[in-house]
Amino acid sequence: DSHIQYERVGADVTMKCGSMDWDAAVTWTANGTDIDESHLNGSYLILKNVDLSQSGQYSCYEGSSWHLKYQTNLRVGTPPKEPVLMCRSNNYPKGFYCSWHLPTPTYIPNTFNISVVHGTKDMVCEKDAVPKNRCHIRYIQLFSTVKYKVTLTVTNALGKNFTTLTFDEFAIVKPDPPESVVAKPVPNNPRRLEVSWQNPSSWPEPESFPLKFFLRYRPLILDQWQHVELSDGTSHTITDAYAGKEYIIQVAAKDNDIGTWSDWSVAVHATPWTEEPKHLTTEAQITETTSASTSSFMAPPTTKICDKGAVVGS
Amino acid sequence: MAAPDSPSTALRRRDLCSRGIRLAGKMRADVVDLLDTYVEQQGLDASASVAAVEGVPLAAVERWDEQTGTQRLLENLAAYRAFRALLAQMLEEQREQLGEADAGLGRALAAVLLQVSAFAYHLEELLRLESRGVPSEEEDGPPPLPRLSLFEQKLRGLGVLRELAQWAVRSARDLRQLAKPSPATGTGPGLAESP
Amino acid sequence: PQNLKCLTHNLHKMVCTWDFSSRGRRRQTDFCYTTNDLTPQVCFKTKERRAEIPVPESSITVTIKTPGTAFATKEFTIHQKDISFVPVTPHILSLTPGFPTSTLNLKWSDNGSVFPYGLDALWQIQILRKEAMEEVTQVAYYSKLTHEDVILSWNWTSDIPLECTSHYVKIRCYINATQFVGPKDWSDWSPAEVIPGKDTEPGGSGVFPLDAVVAVGSDVTFCCVHEEDQRITNMTYGSKSYTMMQLSSRSHAIRVLNASASNSSGTNVVCRLENGMDGSVVFVGYAPDTPQNLSCETSNFLIIKCTWKPGRPSGLYGARRTKYSLFERISSKNVSCEVNEMNRDRVCGFPVLPDQKTYDFILGVSNPIGQAQSSLLVDITQRVHPKTPEKLTVTGNNSTSIQLRWFINGSFTGIRLLCQIEIVSGHSEKKLHNVSMPGGKSSSYTAQLNGLHPNTKYQFSVRCSAADHFWRWSDWSRGLEQTTSEAPPS
Repeated sequence: DSHIQYERVGADVTMKCGSMDWDAAVTWTANGTDIDESHLNGSYLILKNVDLSQSGQYSCYEGSSWHLKYQTNLRVGTPPKEPVLMCRSNNYPKGFYCSWHLPTPTYIPNTFNISVVHGTKDMVCEKDAVPKNRCHIRYIQLFSTVKYKVTLTVTNALGKNFTTLTFDEFAIVKPDPPESVVAKPVPNNPRRLEVSWQNPSSWPEPESFPLKFFLRYRPLILDQWQHVELSDGTSHTITDAYAGKEYIIQVAAKDNDIGTWSDWSVAVHATPWTEEPKHLTTEAQITETTSASTSSFMAPPTTKICDKGAVVGS
Repeated sequence: MAAPDSPSTALRRRDLCSRGIRLAGKMRADVVDLLDTYVEQQGLDASASVAAVEGVPLAAVERWDEQTGTQRLLENLAAYRAFRALLAQMLEEQREQLGEADAGLGRALAAVLLQVSAFAYHLEELLRLESRGVPSEEEDGPPPLPRLSLFEQKLRGLGVLRELAQWAVRSARDLRQLAKPSPATGTGPGLAESP
Repeated sequence: PQNLKCLTHNLHKMVCTWDFSSRGRRRQTDFCYTTNDLTPQVCFKTKERRAEIPVPESSITVTIKTPGTAFATKEFTIHQKDISFVPVTPHILSLTPGFPTSTLNLKWSDNGSVFPYGLDALWQIQILRKEAMEEVTQVAYYSKLTHEDVILSWNWTSDIPLECTSHYVKIRCYINATQFVGPKDWSDWSPAEVIPGKDTEPGGSGVFPLDAVVAVGSDVTFCCVHEEDQRITNMTYGSKSYTMMQLSSRSHAIRVLNASASNSSGTNVVCRLENGMDGSVVFVGYAPDTPQNLSCETSNFLIIKCTWKPGRPSGLYGARRTKYSLFERISSKNVSCEVNEMNRDRVCGFPVLPDQKTYDFILGVSNPIGQAQSSLLVDITQRVHPKTPEKLTVTGNNSTSIQLRWFINGSFTGIRLLCQIEIVSGHSEKKLHNVSMPGGKSSSYTAQLNGLHPNTKYQFSVRCSAADHFWRWSDWSRGLEQTTSEAPPS
């Protein structure tokens, strides 16, 4: 019966041909291909400093009768490194989720085990079907000063590692970016742009847990953003736009009292209203340049934004 | 079920609630600043976990969203009365231990104590608005605080300020719940039924 | 009977013991002794194999008869040199812990009444610690026996807080009886007296010393007493982690060398355990410096105001701040001074006492780390520093003279005042006019200025001091402007 044998990259592997004596005549194959005699020491197969490419099925046959005496599935890999764990509440106050990944692949199967402790209470982390490396926890208590301790243990045949995160309830609150961001020129106002957006759909109770917003905008021709913080409402009129210049606009959100800023929303573009040129023939159409095109997703700001103690970005 | 409000009561409540929310927000900002100063001045480790300290009202609550408006106000009032006594004790201990050294911390403590007292009074006003009896201080008064060692006093101070910072957030949430217009009448819900 | 041995604990009586060559049932024996040929033999019966008899000046003859056995009688001659002298095992009367100062006070009786006068006694005091009773120190203590039972007392300061683990004390003694020619030896050790550590008390956990005050530069041991099942993760002093020493299964310690000054809220000593933490605060500061430039004066003969330079700040605040008191030896009156530790200048007021001119002050300074004092002998009539003259007004004015009046708060009845009037006019330089007058009690004073120019604007200001034994001028009064009247037509 063939079994799986795990070995570390760089290890020296010796395989015996089942119960055959050392001096018995045998033939070894790897994935069906004969292995050169140089790898044999008597009937033992010696693999030095194995690498990933040497994973495969190894079989040993008795010399004369070609009777299969031994078969194994060699899987070359590495023990897991310390996993990267991140916990976040984007649907406060319902709960929070934790997601994880390994910094480097191990090339062999790993099992993940997560424990969440709040003070002395163990909490259930319900695994999400998709993605597999994520689970979510429902808040039983709100407004607690007791820290949460999340420990993720990863195990495979070659080793084990773990990561622990300790955090306060408020510290991991980070909404998803605002949605449906729209920017429109304001007729007869060459320096205005009207921006509107919606609360992220993942935020469950905006009335009791209101969000505040951060708007940034700049003409494409400049690199310097202009910022404005809005403590309520989901719209804003930019009144100092350069006439006739196309603008890129993004919005971020944060709980009014706690946590950190969301990533920036999808960027939208808009150009303020411009005067209809007098000499132009009638066909000239001034089309509203309203577009909500998706520019390449702007990397979230990794610097501190306004709110004391708030760090955005993961 | 309490009879829905008259428009004037609802308007008055919403005004009191929004002022209360702003006061809670300011209080929280000041407490967070005070917490930074306190941790540094007392040589404490900001990340230290402090076990629940006897006499300090915990902001943590289960099934918060199911609380009635009266429960919210009464729990808030009891907490801020307790914080008033705790902060007064901290101020006394501060003067006793440090005298004139670090008067800055003393002033900051006194300022937060003032805000806590103001907020407690604000809550009493809200309760009076709902013709709810305001519990007398003895009923609510905090138990006498045990005499602690200096390090325990420092930890208790840390625990007090941390819980107060949490309470300030909870209070803002509670007041938002109270200020929510009732879906039926568009006026504020009676306190009994404002989940 | 054989192997007769004698031992004395007090140089008067000795206990002799023997055994029998053949084993057998315990028999009644006749025990007789005589110290020399002149005294009659003393006999008594005993079933014991020991007997207490006097210590001889030189020798003693003992006869042991056992009726009804072969070889029934045996005679022994015991010389003093054959007798061992071992003082009786001492007993500790009391062992008192001084937890705040980590000191032990030991009291025991020297049992001197049983010995002749004037013998030298040497005591060994052994301090042991921890569950394994490891020896910490062994100290020699000398005393002289006075033929009376004297209670001896000895103090020891531990280098670790007494709470940290149990401390045991044992003593033994050796008496140098030079006239006694027999072999002399140490007594047995006394039973050990114990001061149990907190690590033996259920619920005794904590960090010790608790809220101590120590001098800058001290080496201090802090310990963390925890429950048996609690695992200790680390101990920190301030923000620094220290290597731990295990004192017992429930006690770990760290040793901080050359402690530096702590900030106003003290330095935290934190013991982190698997499921919690404990801590203490230590205040590291300086003993007060000797006050410098102590000076006392009076501005009103009501209060004597003493000032001084405090020297190096102690670094201790609030309840542990440096406290000042002013003691006056002649009147034996003591005043404690309210001092704000944040400002540099120190002031203390002492009431002027009726009919007392000379004051012998001792300024006492103390804080939990140490104390100091300065003294000053002063005659306050020679230390008058009047307050600033007030209400300077003109009470008379003509073309060449002006009369001024001013008020000084304070009672100067016992002395004469010297006042100086500064006269400034437009076209001449500043002039000073001195005038002296008997002191009054919170009263006004006047002066007449002559030789002035007519129709001229003058600026006046006045200050005063003691006329006899000048000490210090008061501050100048507020200025007063006055124009002399025009000269009458000639």
